[in-house]
Amino acid sequence: MAKQRKRFALVLASLMALTLVLSACGGGKASDNGAASGAGGSSDKPVELIWYTIGTPQKDVDRVMEEVNKYTKEKINATIKMKMIDFGDYTQKMQVMAASGEPMDILFTSSWAFDYVQNARKGAFMEIDELLDTHGKGIKEVLDPAFLEGSKVDGHNYAVPANKELPAQEVYRFNQELLDKYNLDISNVRSLESLEPLLKVIKENEPGITPYAIVNDHVPLMPFDYVIEKMPMAVYLDTKDYKVVNILETEEAKETLKTMRKFYQAGYISPEAATTTSVDDLYKSGKWFSDRAATQPLANNLWSASYGYPVTSTPAGDAYVYNWSVMGSMQAISANSKYPEKAMEFLNLLNTDPVLRNMIDSGIEGVHYEKVGDNVMRNLEESKNYDMPTFSLGNILITYLNENDPADKWEQFKEFNASGKNAPLLGFNFDATNVASEIAAVQNVKDEFWASLMTGTVDPEEYLPKANEKFKAAGLDKIIAEAQRQIDEWRAASNK
Amino acid sequence: MRKIGSFFKDIAKNKVMLLMVLPGALWFLFFSYLPMLGTVIAFKQYRFHRDGFWASIVNSKWVGWDNFKFLFSTNDAFVITRNTLLYNLAFIFIGLVLSVLLAIVLSEIVNKRLAKIYQTGMFLPYFLSWVIVGYFAFSFLSSERGLLNQVFKGLGMDPIQWYADPKYWPFIIILVYLWKAVGYNSVVYLAAIMGIDRSLYEAAMIDGANKWQQIRRITVPMLAPIITIMTLLAVGKIFYADFGLFYQVPRNSGSLYAVTNVIDTYVYRGLKTTGEIGMSTAAGLYQSIVGFTLVMTSNYIVRKFDKDNALF
Amino acid sequence: MAQSAIKTRDFHHLSKPWNFIFNLIAGIFSFVCVFPFLFVVIISFTDEGVLARDGYRLLPAKWSLEAYKYVFQTGDTLLRSYGVTIFVTVVGTIISLLFIAFYAYAISRKSFKYRNFFSFFAFFTMLFNGGLVPTYIVTTQLLGLKDTIWALILPLAVNAFYIMILRTFYSTSVPDAILESGKIDGAGEFRIFLKLVLPLSLPGLATIGLFSTLGYWNDWFNALLYIDNPNLVPLQSMLMRIETSMQFIMQNSQNSSLSLEALRSMPQDTSRMAMVVLATGPIIFAYPFFQRYFIQGLTIGAVKE
Repeated sequence: MAKQRKRFALVLASLMALTLVLSACGGGKASDNGAASGAGGSSDKPVELIWYTIGTPQKDVDRVMEEVNKYTKEKINATIKMKMIDFGDYTQKMQVMAASGEPMDILFTSSWAFDYVQNARKGAFMEIDELLDTHGKGIKEVLDPAFLEGSKVDGHNYAVPANKELPAQEVYRFNQELLDKYNLDISNVRSLESLEPLLKVIKENEPGITPYAIVNDHVPLMPFDYVIEKMPMAVYLDTKDYKVVNILETEEAKETLKTMRKFYQAGYISPEAATTTSVDDLYKSGKWFSDRAATQPLANNLWSASYGYPVTSTPAGDAYVYNWSVMGSMQAISANSKYPEKAMEFLNLLNTDPVLRNMIDSGIEGVHYEKVGDNVMRNLEESKNYDMPTFSLGNILITYLNENDPADKWEQFKEFNASGKNAPLLGFNFDATNVASEIAAVQNVKDEFWASLMTGTVDPEEYLPKANEKFKAAGLDKIIAEAQRQIDEWRAASNK
Repeated sequence: MRKIGSFFKDIAKNKVMLLMVLPGALWFLFFSYLPMLGTVIAFKQYRFHRDGFWASIVNSKWVGWDNFKFLFSTNDAFVITRNTLLYNLAFIFIGLVLSVLLAIVLSEIVNKRLAKIYQTGMFLPYFLSWVIVGYFAFSFLSSERGLLNQVFKGLGMDPIQWYADPKYWPFIIILVYLWKAVGYNSVVYLAAIMGIDRSLYEAAMIDGANKWQQIRRITVPMLAPIITIMTLLAVGKIFYADFGLFYQVPRNSGSLYAVTNVIDTYVYRGLKTTGEIGMSTAAGLYQSIVGFTLVMTSNYIVRKFDKDNALF
Repeated sequence: MAQSAIKTRDFHHLSKPWNFIFNLIAGIFSFVCVFPFLFVVIISFTDEGVLARDGYRLLPAKWSLEAYKYVFQTGDTLLRSYGVTIFVTVVGTIISLLFIAFYAYAISRKSFKYRNFFSFFAFFTMLFNGGLVPTYIVTTQLLGLKDTIWALILPLAVNAFYIMILRTFYSTSVPDAILESGKIDGAGEFRIFLKLVLPLSLPGLATIGLFSTLGYWNDWFNALLYIDNPNLVPLQSMLMRIETSMQFIMQNSQNSSLSLEALRSMPQDTSRMAMVVLATGPIIFAYPFFQRYFIQGLTIGAVKE
């Protein structure tokens, strides 16, 4: 047996040697290719840019790209190879590909899929401060400056944000039919408490209806700007001293959670809210009265149209520009791209040129859509083969309107963007490297308590102390101290 | 010189067998052993480098055992280790007994056509993903519309908040696992029974052995090698848990973590914000090493009793 | 004819009451397993609105084919995915059986000098793996399999677990005496393997063949990693993609542009059940092909041949 193992070790060792040789060959070959095609790029042969983006793969992508390429070849002497990866797979697949150095040029990144800050720090993206000045001037002109300012990681830009709605604003939504039936007035609704009289009416009169429909990731509105989304470290939205607090130890949280508990016990919230991931069935059957959602201009129309009955809403808080709302949709240039300049030229064109932008968005004119006005279009039958997520593909403010959109749609967006106040931590991004193990432990504690506290499923009097004790044991204080240190440094550096 | 000579002689003597293992061995080389070198990431703070993976590894910082720390740093370390171990022990032993019993029952049923139908049925759960299994568990356990609480209500009993009360979950988890796995696992034993030389039974009949004696004296002993191997292999996976079973079926309910948090769910939850490859690799390495140690020990014990039944 | 052959072979019948009890046990367990599946089928034919209102019902108030219409609107994509899956499953199972059968046989033979080494060589891979990224690099950069059908076949071709099981089958069901007799007849190793060993180990091979078939049929992860070309996406991968994307979108509902975008194209509960039916249906019919080897066992005739 011992002899056996010795021999095994020997084989393993020679194996490793073999691998090193093999992989050295493989690596060498790859870079050879790169050099060769890089040289080709400078001549007249158009450069091919590989573009990974998010969304359900569409049948006609290659067909549309053929048209796109005719246009881009003429404009910037580059062609595009677009590869779509569906929403649920995007993060995982891109992480593997980025980590293994897969050749690619442009990639979609955001705060909610293939995390922008995290991967910028790991070195997946190219720093583009200079490229923006040399090849991306148009982007700087069309983009609200808050986008580029808010998406800086450690002082540098690593991706081009899409020009779209800038702040995030929460609203309470209501099922209009029920409002009318009981003649309820929502003009006074603003806080969670002010919702109660309405919920009460519904609870008493409509036994089959869920008065306040929430799911397990619901977090009641509290006046905080979170250091990491949905983790308990935050500063107050109106903070002056930028002190990081554990929100679960604040009076605001105690009060809010008590209200949620009251709602839960009164039956306004489903007893299973803490484990419910979707209330889609309620929306479909119309058996809900109110809920909370993130809004954007014209959202009421979109909701009403997709549910098939009128939905109305009233603000639950002010519009704030958060890091995550700024980073809602971005295109980065891969760190291993061989044609960063071309890639930036393309992104510049995408964000400023309505012809290209609309081709990428809606397909080929006369095949997928037809123009019915100067900047108004109608989808044709074929558009089902090219149905792209508009918000993920760059500047949405230059896309054509649909027939039933109001003519001032993009004006409304601009107004909405102007209405947003900057959240205190806008532009600050926490670097978790030094506290990665604490984050892992705290995340587990958070998952254990968060949903049941936030949905009122458990009594905060009893469970808040329990949760806080466990958070402390897992190292929350260390994370808060680290966050405080980073924030102080950031303030000193940026004169906040 | 002589040594090398005898080495080549050995190769020549075993050349047919060596030829037989060659395709498989090459496969292991490429798909298992080469990637294994990447395990070094477990000791690195992995950062991307524009020249690809090797450059990334070389340029990443060594961090020693830091990536392993999160597995042991809190009280949860005990909970997840205990849960993973105990559930797996239950799965191995109860699963084994039921699968073997089921295989014997199926093999003895007189009407083979019926046996086939039963067996096809038992296989179906294997095809349902844990997400779907989670839905069904929910249709039984939902506090409002669930079947069980409806029945309780009918009987005048108080409904139970299944997803908030940890005390039922060890049973639920084990039941769901068995339901999904036993049909699949029994195929191996059933096939092993079919491989038993029928003349053994014939001889036993002539000696006047009845059915029970046949099962006890022939079927079960003949199954011993495959049972041993299956158990040994399962022991190696004792530190791994089926993620979907512990995440989807309890609907990720925080109140149940005391009995549903296992190593795999802990790692998943812990790394979803930072996405450190180094830490997930470290967790995998830890699971592998514990499993490896346990298998080597059990294999050693098995060898003491019966050399033929051991893995190697 | 087949019936009478079975009767003569089963010379050791179970007594009637015991047979009944055994039938009862197997029958009940089997029903418990089938029942949820039946439910899946029923839900897939339930009207979406009725489902949202009443929840799961054995006899829904309204039936509907909408779910299947939704899945089939992809048209030829679905058919092509079936094609890819069937090709991968058939070719993959054959390759996989060849690799595994040879490897397992060699390490089952006591006369093979390096059997322990190669047993360990296989076994070790069950416990240790390099993780996703290194595997991805070997497969795409070293072997160059990205976006080829082989990326769906090769990574699943060999499995140490199956090798260990099959090795045990060989050593228990193939008596040494038979191998000896083959040698005396002057047959070469390959001939012995093909003519004597393979027929005797059919139940084992059928088991591994079945596992391997199911493995290929159910695999979606390799396609997620290695396949960008929509024409090479297998069935399970396509369905899984729809499912995970739906969950992802639900979890990110605070993102207004994403959730508004998704409202238009979200698949419904009934459609996911329809997907399960479509993905599972065909493979159930492949099952009896393997089953006959481990339900009926070998005829004595086959052994003596």
